[in-house]
Amino acid sequence: MKGSMQKESQLVFWLFLLPALFAFIMVMVIPFFMGAFYAFTNWSSSAKLDGGLKFIGLKNFIDSFKDPAFIYSFGLTGVYTLLSMVTVNLIAFALALLVTSKLKLKNIYRAGFFIPNLIGGLILGYIWQFIFNNAIPALGKVIPFLSALADPQNLMLSKNTTAIIAMVIVSTWQYAGYIMMIYIAAIENVPEELHEAAKIDGANSWMRLRMITLPMVAQAFTVTMFLTLVFSFKQFDVNVSLTSGGPSTMLMNKPILGTELLALNIYNTAFISNNLAMGQARAVIFFIVLAIISLIQVYVNKKKEIEL
Amino acid sequence: MKKLVLALMAVLAVVALTACGGQKSGKTLTLMQNKPEIDAQLKAYAAEWGKKNNVTVVIKSIGGTSGGMGPQLKADYAAGDMPDIFAFDGLEAYKEWEGVILDLSNEPWVSKTSVAFKYNGKVYGFPVAVEGWGMAYNADLLAKAGIDPKTLNNYEAYKAAFEKLNAMKKELGIDSVVSMAASVEMGWVTAHHNFNSLLSNGLPYGDLSVVNDLLAGKVDEQRLSEYADWVELLFKYADKTVLLTGNYDAQVGAFAAGKAVFLHQGNWVDPNMKTANVTFKMAFAPHGSMKQVTDGIFVAAPSFYAINKDSKNLALAKKFLNDFVETPEGNNYMVKEALMIPAFSNITLNPEGQLSKSVQEWASAGKVYSWNQYYFTGDFRDKILTPIYNQFAAGKISKSQFVALMKKAFEENAKK
Amino acid sequence: MISKKKIGLIILEFVTALLFVAFIFPFYMVIINSAKTAFEITQYPLSLPERFGNLFTNIVKIWKNEAVRYPASFLASVIITTVSLLLINLFSAQAAWVLARTKTKVSSFIFFIFVAAMVIPFQIVMFPLLSWFRTITNITGIPLLRTYLGIIFSYIGFGAPLSIFLFHGFIKSIPLELEEAALIDGCKKHEIFFKIVFPILKPIQATVLVLNGIWIWNDFLLPLLVLGKGNTIQTIPLAVSNFAGAFVKQWDLILTAILMAMIPIIIFFLFAQKYIVKGMIAGSIK
Repeated sequence: MKGSMQKESQLVFWLFLLPALFAFIMVMVIPFFMGAFYAFTNWSSSAKLDGGLKFIGLKNFIDSFKDPAFIYSFGLTGVYTLLSMVTVNLIAFALALLVTSKLKLKNIYRAGFFIPNLIGGLILGYIWQFIFNNAIPALGKVIPFLSALADPQNLMLSKNTTAIIAMVIVSTWQYAGYIMMIYIAAIENVPEELHEAAKIDGANSWMRLRMITLPMVAQAFTVTMFLTLVFSFKQFDVNVSLTSGGPSTMLMNKPILGTELLALNIYNTAFISNNLAMGQARAVIFFIVLAIISLIQVYVNKKKEIEL
Repeated sequence: MKKLVLALMAVLAVVALTACGGQKSGKTLTLMQNKPEIDAQLKAYAAEWGKKNNVTVVIKSIGGTSGGMGPQLKADYAAGDMPDIFAFDGLEAYKEWEGVILDLSNEPWVSKTSVAFKYNGKVYGFPVAVEGWGMAYNADLLAKAGIDPKTLNNYEAYKAAFEKLNAMKKELGIDSVVSMAASVEMGWVTAHHNFNSLLSNGLPYGDLSVVNDLLAGKVDEQRLSEYADWVELLFKYADKTVLLTGNYDAQVGAFAAGKAVFLHQGNWVDPNMKTANVTFKMAFAPHGSMKQVTDGIFVAAPSFYAINKDSKNLALAKKFLNDFVETPEGNNYMVKEALMIPAFSNITLNPEGQLSKSVQEWASAGKVYSWNQYYFTGDFRDKILTPIYNQFAAGKISKSQFVALMKKAFEENAKK
Repeated sequence: MISKKKIGLIILEFVTALLFVAFIFPFYMVIINSAKTAFEITQYPLSLPERFGNLFTNIVKIWKNEAVRYPASFLASVIITTVSLLLINLFSAQAAWVLARTKTKVSSFIFFIFVAAMVIPFQIVMFPLLSWFRTITNITGIPLLRTYLGIIFSYIGFGAPLSIFLFHGFIKSIPLELEEAALIDGCKKHEIFFKIVFPILKPIQATVLVLNGIWIWNDFLLPLLVLGKGNTIQTIPLAVSNFAGAFVKQWDLILTAILMAMIPIIIFFLFAQKYIVKGMIAGSIK
């Protein structure tokens, strides 16, 4: 009896798993290994005469690390990811607090904050390009004490340092609503009785936030940090449409693109530089680094969860 | 749950129906091209042509920036679904697809054009059109300032004209003298088009001496430093906002609105001028990238149609290309519908746009210089040169640094 | 007499309202610029359109445009999105359930692989996917490229990791007692899932549907690769991209097309909105 139950359990396990697992293996796992394999070749997916797939070992990887633009991209992506993780989570958490308070229109606000998610990143980038290049200078011309904004020297997208901040602003605006939803869920999950009890004990709202809300939503941080980390690291659409990787900057005495994140660098390597195999190699490096960072992040967060 | 299943069934039924309905029978000819702006016109023409020749012609237009058609062709190649005819823009793209491009040397249209794509003495590409660029000028504003555009043909003349115009900004109602773009997004204006001044200005058509020297890492310092003066002049008298952050619309828009006297673009802006209801007169003047007089503008075919060797409809594909040249309908499509300058000597129709007309005038006078930028890889132009121009435009590097960086770039490129 | 607390609340309401405006401002930009001519957009992006009637002119233009084939593209997008969503929802839910309820090494390993796949950059798989699909078609004769089957199958595979991750978290929060009681009552294991677990999953299903729905509806790269451009089946994002020229972008038509593409997803979102939060309460955070 027990044996047949277990067999049935086994059967159901695999039957239920099969459709999703099968599709997943076919479209992600197998192509992933094929892609990783191509990274060690001269593959081009085109009709070059001297074609023929050749195994070239680690050349694509070594050449990548010799390219200052790639090194720069790496560092830049790190900085960008860190900045957006902080801003997205801060803003999202603040928004979540706002819309779970006693505001009258909180349901409308919730929907409104989430709405930027509904538009694709490419479009968002183009819209924000308008805003940074046209709307903000226009404001500067109208309002006297903001006249500095109208000065072409102060345009956000004209310098690579401010352009990267512009990208952080756009991605914050894009993802904050999404992450907010997760925080809302976590905050609403805090039993009302805890707050009531704390109030009776004379705790003010700051103390309640610190002593009750934060520890209770600590679990949510693991997820939100992980999601923002992955989103930011993979950022491509906004990068293409907002800055196209510009303006330029100098590194190791070489002018290079100043806001080219890793995903865009991979794309440009594959298609502008016409080196698909090296693009694959860079994507493999990208994968390994992101996998390690996110493992560390989840591990650290889980540890913090317990401490809080 | 039941409702859900019902809905699912309904949707699946629709899928099955449309999937079957979608299958077309009969022959199809597929053409992939990179000018979405003529997509509608080409489709209309192709549909008519298809009816006559009993074939369905499918037009795929790929636009967008960075890389353009390249990724799509590679994807289709991986998918085993290459088009019968596809556009390519020059040597590098040709090499990428060499294995599937058909030799067209014996086609009847070859004798009627001087700008077909040739490699090792054989013809591989049908020229889609002729395009040209120089310094587009607003003739009304120049007249108002008392400058004769015919005198604009070397560095000194431009320098004097720019200084004069700059002093008259208020009178002329302009923001800047020249509408120039040098952001990374607009790298094709600097590192493709402007760069070509260095490569071919003042040289006989098709002369590759400068290109070959530079490819070998040999830099003519005199030529480069004169060119750097020209680039500096353009950047100096450009509107900084447009120069550093402007996109195509901003750059062309400033000229169309009469806010700049010159525009560093080609005749493809004609449709933009039309939608902007521009009323002033305009034409092209040569580039002033040298001290010597260079009396001509840069004219060539921007892209070519190649026929896929493995196509199942080779005869039809050849006929499709030939009919552009040989039939009145084909001529009419190219000139009157797609508003292109035809690349073939037998076609008598004239384009309507002012700048297209100007290109034709320069071409028929034989005052043309070639497009040599395609002898350098996309990688070199977009990833090495574009940032150098951008640094220079932003004032982060001086002219002598610009020259040094360019020189170094050529030398390193030759080592690859 | 207004209490201090009330003033605080009013200020808060005001600040939130300002933020709200900042968040929906780009939508406003899309709408006003959809009603302009191409030239007006680039020269006066911020001003109100001269005539709002232009919006309808532009909508009609898009509707009739040969390259967009709006009605056909819309139908294709609806088919792809709904079928993919229903299947992702069902397959991921049942996979997540057995993964959450089976405590074996194999089970946790498979779950870990699903989660780990979330960090795979799409660039690695995009071209190999195509040649792989082509190989499958050559061997089995099942057409995966340029077909609904292929694109929907791809979405199930690409959608599985995040969806399973979300379901898995939610299921862990459901008390096991319910299922044990049903088992004692003689329910078969698969019946437990469909009769008891699947209905409880409703809130998290809403979340999964909305998140995947937004992604699939707006997705550009995967359809571009699997369906290709200019073929019989074309989704709305593919259609919109037909306006983006290499040098010239027809902004008036692009924005109108975006607006027309956005409306269905906004309606869908507003409709499902109240479920999302509920789903996330227990879902993603456990």
